[in-house]
Amino acid sequence: MSLVNYATREITCKIVYYGPGRSGKTTNLHYIYGQVPEDRKGKMVSLATQTDRTLFFDFLPLDLGTISGFTTKFQLYTVPGQVYYQTTRKLVLQGADGVVFVADSQARQLDENVESFQDLHANLAEQGIDARAVPLVLQYNKQDLPRELILDTATLSDSLNFRGVPEFPADALHGPGVFETLRAISELVLKRLSAGAPAGARA
Amino acid sequence: MKIAAVEAWVEAPLKRFVDDARARLALLLHPSGQVLAQAGFTRAVDVMTACALAAAAHATAGELGRQLDGRGFRGLHYAGLEKQLYLAAIDTARGVYICLTVFDQASSLGLVRMYFDDLSRELTAAAPPLIALREPALGADFERDLDANLSALFGRAS
Repeated sequence: MSLVNYATREITCKIVYYGPGRSGKTTNLHYIYGQVPEDRKGKMVSLATQTDRTLFFDFLPLDLGTISGFTTKFQLYTVPGQVYYQTTRKLVLQGADGVVFVADSQARQLDENVESFQDLHANLAEQGIDARAVPLVLQYNKQDLPRELILDTATLSDSLNFRGVPEFPADALHGPGVFETLRAISELVLKRLSAGAPAGARA
Repeated sequence: MKIAAVEAWVEAPLKRFVDDARARLALLLHPSGQVLAQAGFTRAVDVMTACALAAAAHATAGELGRQLDGRGFRGLHYAGLEKQLYLAAIDTARGVYICLTVFDQASSLGLVRMYFDDLSRELTAAAPPLIALREPALGADFERDLDANLSALFGRAS
């Protein structure tokens, strides 16, 4: 739930990057971290294994600046994608204002994408959240790989985007699609606030 | 000492707790990791990051408790070389909050836990019921600001 402080005119929102293992969730955050000026970002925290696989989460606080008179801060989280970190994913998903689903465009990863997407919906439902009401953006990552290895966005869309949410091809390692994804999820989350969606901790 | 709170009703009890327990710092946060209030010496810590990590530690302890003991562990204590922390949840009419208390040799776990019980009682008594307000928080023209700010963040022309 977004935190709106009318006294200090601050909004804080939590965005979770979700998806199967090695789809590029952490890479998205690393790219954003590398692009954003020092004074607009906090420390990026990664709770990872020795081999750099996300163990618990990555966390990147981002200052979006003033929007409609409110200082707007986003907290970007990733979840661990590997199947056996199910419990951890549920914990990180708590209180999310928006979700970016990062799919791996490789053809051989299609089943993992579908399974992870179903896992997202199951975890939201378990927390009593109607998945259709949560702002969601799909990102089809690794589109820079050779054509013969990956599925095109239309095929991925057929398999995953039954809600018709915004979707973006991306190459998170080099940047294309990362900005567009963040912009789209930001817009959806803030649109809910501008439409009067419930927010917490008003002063 | 710095005191800042998103909701005014938590300010006085939190400040009193820090004073009485002789804590260095107390952060009150939502289980999702968002900070609601802070009291004490915050310069030494990145508050937002500390809250994200505290929420994770609390959630982990809760889940471990459910798996080992049938219900979530309520409190968590870590002892470092010079500083210690105590992490525990408070149930109020506005939902569950987590309190992260940092203390040093000037205090003790017993003292912190004793005054934490007082804080818990005070916040539970003071919490106004949560009313989900649905008036728009942002103006309908937020997209222009959002575009300009994100473009500036990524070094692009808007």
